[in-house]
Amino acid sequence: MFGQLVLSGISQGAIYALVALGMTVLYRTTSVLNFGYGETFMLGAFSFYVFLKIAMLPFIVAALLTIVLMVIVGALTERFLIRPIMMRPHLLIAMMTIAISYLFRGATRIVWGKDVLPMPPVFDFPPIFVGDMVITSQSLVIMLAGAVLVIAFFAFFNLSALGKLMQAASHSPRGAALIGINVPLFSLCMWSLSAAIAAIAGILVAPVTLLYPDMGATTLLKAFAAMTLGGFGNLGGAVLGGLLLGISEQICGGYISTSFMDIFPYVVILVVLLIYPAGLLGRQEINRV
Amino acid sequence: MSRMRDPKILIMAVAVALLACLPLFVNSYIVYIAAMICINALMALGFNFVIGFLGQLVFANTAFFGVGAYAYSILLMHVGLPFPLALLGACLAGGLIGLIVGLPALRLRGFELAIVTLAFNELMRWIYLHSGSIGGGASGMGLRPATLFGYELISDTSKYLMILVVTVIGIWMVSNIAKSTAGRAIVAVGANEFAASALSIPPARYNILAFALSGFFSAIAGALFAILLGRVAPESFGLNQLLLGFAMVMVGGLGTVAGPVLGAVLLTAAPEFLRSIPGAEEILFSVLLIGLLIFMPSGLFGGLAALFPSLRERHRGKLS
Repeated sequence: MFGQLVLSGISQGAIYALVALGMTVLYRTTSVLNFGYGETFMLGAFSFYVFLKIAMLPFIVAALLTIVLMVIVGALTERFLIRPIMMRPHLLIAMMTIAISYLFRGATRIVWGKDVLPMPPVFDFPPIFVGDMVITSQSLVIMLAGAVLVIAFFAFFNLSALGKLMQAASHSPRGAALIGINVPLFSLCMWSLSAAIAAIAGILVAPVTLLYPDMGATTLLKAFAAMTLGGFGNLGGAVLGGLLLGISEQICGGYISTSFMDIFPYVVILVVLLIYPAGLLGRQEINRV
Repeated sequence: MSRMRDPKILIMAVAVALLACLPLFVNSYIVYIAAMICINALMALGFNFVIGFLGQLVFANTAFFGVGAYAYSILLMHVGLPFPLALLGACLAGGLIGLIVGLPALRLRGFELAIVTLAFNELMRWIYLHSGSIGGGASGMGLRPATLFGYELISDTSKYLMILVVTVIGIWMVSNIAKSTAGRAIVAVGANEFAASALSIPPARYNILAFALSGFFSAIAGALFAILLGRVAPESFGLNQLLLGFAMVMVGGLGTVAGPVLGAVLLTAAPEFLRSIPGAEEILFSVLLIGLLIFMPSGLFGGLAALFPSLRERHRGKLS
């Protein structure tokens, strides 16, 4: 049973890791914590559903269209909602992201009402048996796609010129502006990138869960737990935290009680932040006001 | 005393008297909405102590609100206290839980605090869900009607009048606290902790005070909410309730007394007109919030006060 729990934990954790990674990218590069990220993820999952099931497009086309759409949504959000108040205190920007979450949720509800949309699985391969463990094709796809994406992201961030530029600009926006980096354009790109990551997480999760307009909130809290566990603002920490959260959640559900599983992420947040706020990979940093 | 001749006091008194006469003119549905406005006004004022006056991103207020409702219900149904004592007990429980949440807030700031308090909310909701026979679990529990001077508050009108009285007293208390030395010390700590401590205002003490006051007033609102509904259930204390309170404070105006009340009136009444369209309420809230954040960050009341200086909340006292 242990192996089975770890496996399903990894496939669950891969989703948390992706959402936490998308939030951390934005937080690290623009120091905005996006409280509307859960809804961005939800919007991605819904658009994928529309392209795939209503427009009847093939999987790859639907996935690409979803990513393109969410990149545009991310760019529009930055340009028209965040940039006008970019110089204001962090508190106001955080509030703006909450307003954005309202907007996305309302827009989805107007179109879809209060229904819960079930989505049939996209891949219909037979499940794979390893010893006494079962891997469904869906969770295999999630794990593989998550791993490829995370590796590609870290290679890009650490090796490419644009990645170095991202590191520089996140380190000091003012310094970056002084050496000729277009910081507003950079911030726009980061919002788009983070929305694209949310879209991919949405695409991966849509076939295995039910879709409903309020699905973003729980995902947001789990992503917070993953970020906290891994070290707030640390990219590798977000991935590690997401995987650990997924695995330990499943183990807790399997051996202790499934009702305790629901609050596991919140307990993780409280314990980590109250006892060791730096998290696994983080450093104690000076708080921004 | 010049206070008695202050036209504002007279206007307030007339307004309260008119509000008390409201049930004579409208049906019980409107009376119910009016009672809900009062409750939300108190909740928004409680929320405002931490996000407005102290300026911290704290999301524990639904927990405070829920603790008020549950503490009231347990004191009334299990302990068997009379209604006024149960209400008082609920407020004290709220103040206490505010104080407890305020302690870690001394160490955590900014987003960490926001996340911890968000997690705390969900934790409390889980406790309500698994409260078994004490809190009624997922289905919640029904309450016996509150009894005041031998009279049972069953009709919407009688509940409304009681809630109105408590709300007026609550608003009066908040506005006095805001003007007091302690209230201004909280604002000072929120604006700049180091400058405040240089003025020999101990930041830790006023941080915790703001949390305790926030818990206290949110819990009154929670207890009144339980009375109005006649029952408590976990689903009333979810994320939606939190976002609603948040939107009220933001739309009305952070860090004022009139702002959250104005926000509560608008955002409780407006959704009633939009019930038939799912999602319209959220769109309205988001458009209001976005518009205000970009064009009028001090909220509707702040914008009004900028146009009409006589509305401004002056803090006469030792310092000015």
